[in-house]
Amino acid sequence: MSSKRPIKVLIAKPGLDGHDRGAKVITMGLREAGMEVIYTGLRQTPEMIAKAALEEQPDVVALSCLSGAHRSLFPRVVDELRKRDMSNVLVIGGGIIPDEDAPDLQARGIKAVFGPGTSIKEIAEYIRENV
Amino acid sequence: MSGTFDEKDIEKITKKRVEWEQGTLKKSLERFGVDEPPDRFYTPMDIQDFDFMEKVGFPGTYPYTAGIYACHVPGAGPVTGGGNIGATGKGMVRAGRYSGYGMAEDTRDFYKKEIQRGRTVGPNLAFDLPTQIGIDSDDPRALGEVGKTGVAFDSLQDFEIIYEPYEGKSGLDKIASNWTTNAQAFVIIAAYIALAQKKGIDPKTLRGTPQNDILKEYVARGTYIYPPKESLRIFRDILTYCTEHTPNLNICSIAAYHMREGGATREQALAFHFANAITYLQIGVDAGMNVDDFVGRFSFNTLSGDMEIMKEIAARRAARRMWAKIVRDRFGSQNPRSQIYREAGGFVVGCVSSTKQRALNNLTRTVIGGVAGAFCGYIPSVEPPYDEALGLGWSTEAQQLSEDAARIIQYEAKLTDVMDPLAGSYYIEALTDQIEKEAWDIINKIDEMGGSLKAIENGYMQSAVAKSAYEKQRRLETGEDIIVGVNAFTDESELDVKVQQMVPYPYDAGKQASAEENQIKKLQQLRKNRDNKAVEAALSRLKEIARDENANLMEATIEAVKTYATIGEICGALREVFGEYSAYGAL
Repeated sequence: MSSKRPIKVLIAKPGLDGHDRGAKVITMGLREAGMEVIYTGLRQTPEMIAKAALEEQPDVVALSCLSGAHRSLFPRVVDELRKRDMSNVLVIGGGIIPDEDAPDLQARGIKAVFGPGTSIKEIAEYIRENV
Repeated sequence: MSGTFDEKDIEKITKKRVEWEQGTLKKSLERFGVDEPPDRFYTPMDIQDFDFMEKVGFPGTYPYTAGIYACHVPGAGPVTGGGNIGATGKGMVRAGRYSGYGMAEDTRDFYKKEIQRGRTVGPNLAFDLPTQIGIDSDDPRALGEVGKTGVAFDSLQDFEIIYEPYEGKSGLDKIASNWTTNAQAFVIIAAYIALAQKKGIDPKTLRGTPQNDILKEYVARGTYIYPPKESLRIFRDILTYCTEHTPNLNICSIAAYHMREGGATREQALAFHFANAITYLQIGVDAGMNVDDFVGRFSFNTLSGDMEIMKEIAARRAARRMWAKIVRDRFGSQNPRSQIYREAGGFVVGCVSSTKQRALNNLTRTVIGGVAGAFCGYIPSVEPPYDEALGLGWSTEAQQLSEDAARIIQYEAKLTDVMDPLAGSYYIEALTDQIEKEAWDIINKIDEMGGSLKAIENGYMQSAVAKSAYEKQRRLETGEDIIVGVNAFTDESELDVKVQQMVPYPYDAGKQASAEENQIKKLQQLRKNRDNKAVEAALSRLKEIARDENANLMEATIEAVKTYATIGEICGALREVFGEYSAYGAL
């Protein structure tokens, strides 16, 4: 990957959850950290997210969910990305995700889950080290 | 000078302050090796214009700074089991703890148990997200979401089930309900009225509070359906219909809560929610109503805040004063009962202060909030329970601790024995004035834009909240703001105190897991059994009425609800007429 081109991140809110303070803060924070960031807004279906990814060609797709629907929604996003030949996109997640659910999500393609209290710095570092 | 303090006294104090700063204070700073004092000290200098009658007055009288009522309801306090936000006392009817999950049957069974545990108050209903955005449980977009954030409501049948335990002494004419319903509040209210009618209960006796605050949805909560302007038409219809037919139902609960949790500063949250209240008030006036006919049914939701409780106390005093000024001075109310800032208060430090790390510290934090609540006129509540940040529900153990803490604040520390005990404090009065002024400045800015509808349509409120949220995060990451156990005091020597015995969540996990599947089956059965011709006719009628700007759509909604038209069908019909709001990240 060229070191000149900034890392591109697509931040998405799958499902119906309307809490996007975290998504917005991370959008602004990663931009300040030098990345190119697109925020999809609310109420994205997995298909819509994958289509946006197909168009934007991000290095990272970051999913946010606080309604408890992460277990069904996040893996479906990964599937939709795979269908469109985007398995190499780094998928990460955050929100209200009980610790017990993280291993299962990781097994299904959501490489890291960032919970409450995570700093933008941590996320930026993780992304830089893993894209 | 009309203030309480004599000019000569102020002069003396001012002089003395300079001496003190240059003498005693300077010596201490030198001794401690610092340039700036780590704290402040307030004196009459800080409130030179203070006039007790103008700024504070007696509780229950304009400007209501000290309290909206003359005194607490005697006997009001944290009661046994079942939980309360605030409390029930004689003469005040409130709904209890926010609750609901799975299918209507699951929620009904939960309430049955609660009633056995001593709960006497009505349901405080949380709905799932598909319900909140007016789609059915079998809508493709509902996949994975049914019954998660609250109970699934698809039709009147679900209300019939949920309210089964509420008969006789706990009948609909005796209890108050709370419904967190916004964009589709017209359906939920219609369903409650329809339910009452079916049970032979006069809608005029119905009490409760639909949240019905659509404007904040665009700013901080996200469960909108229609565009803002069309949503306000619906608000108007609810307002005029309910003022006439259900005069004991609150119209709305106008919230600073969500915007604050979303990152708004204290002053922004105050200003934005008042700007929204002004918009709603104006709608009633524009519909030809006298302000005193309806504004007494407006209520507020000021849950949330942060750990700086002195400022939170001052903000609530300012809020009471501001609402009185808005209703009386700006809108010409003549009835004192219209001018009071009726609020569901509590959660004074905000859910946002709860941390996942070292979760028991949340009990400490919320106890501080409960104390603050007592100091600003609330029946103390120690909320949210300490496991708020750990997942999607509270253990009964955490709830028990919260209840006991509130009881200790009230019955042992006796902090509610004095109304507005901080009145007259140089600090608190100065702070109240300052917060009030900053909030007015923001309201004036929004007025200049043309009101909160415009401020939402042009994205001003949304981006202001996002910016404040980001600034907070930056302060956390630089360490300027401290959260114990999260960005400070986190090395290995710190102990993560854990609870030995965890009482499980009160919601049945198995039922929650199977809710979606079962709800869909139930819904499909409903569609088979009902009179579909009647449904179609009712929906057609509703659309016709919706297209007429001057018509009121509540009657037609009640009729549609009675045919067991689903929430998705009813809201879908209006989607055809009003369109849908789409908020593509202005960010």
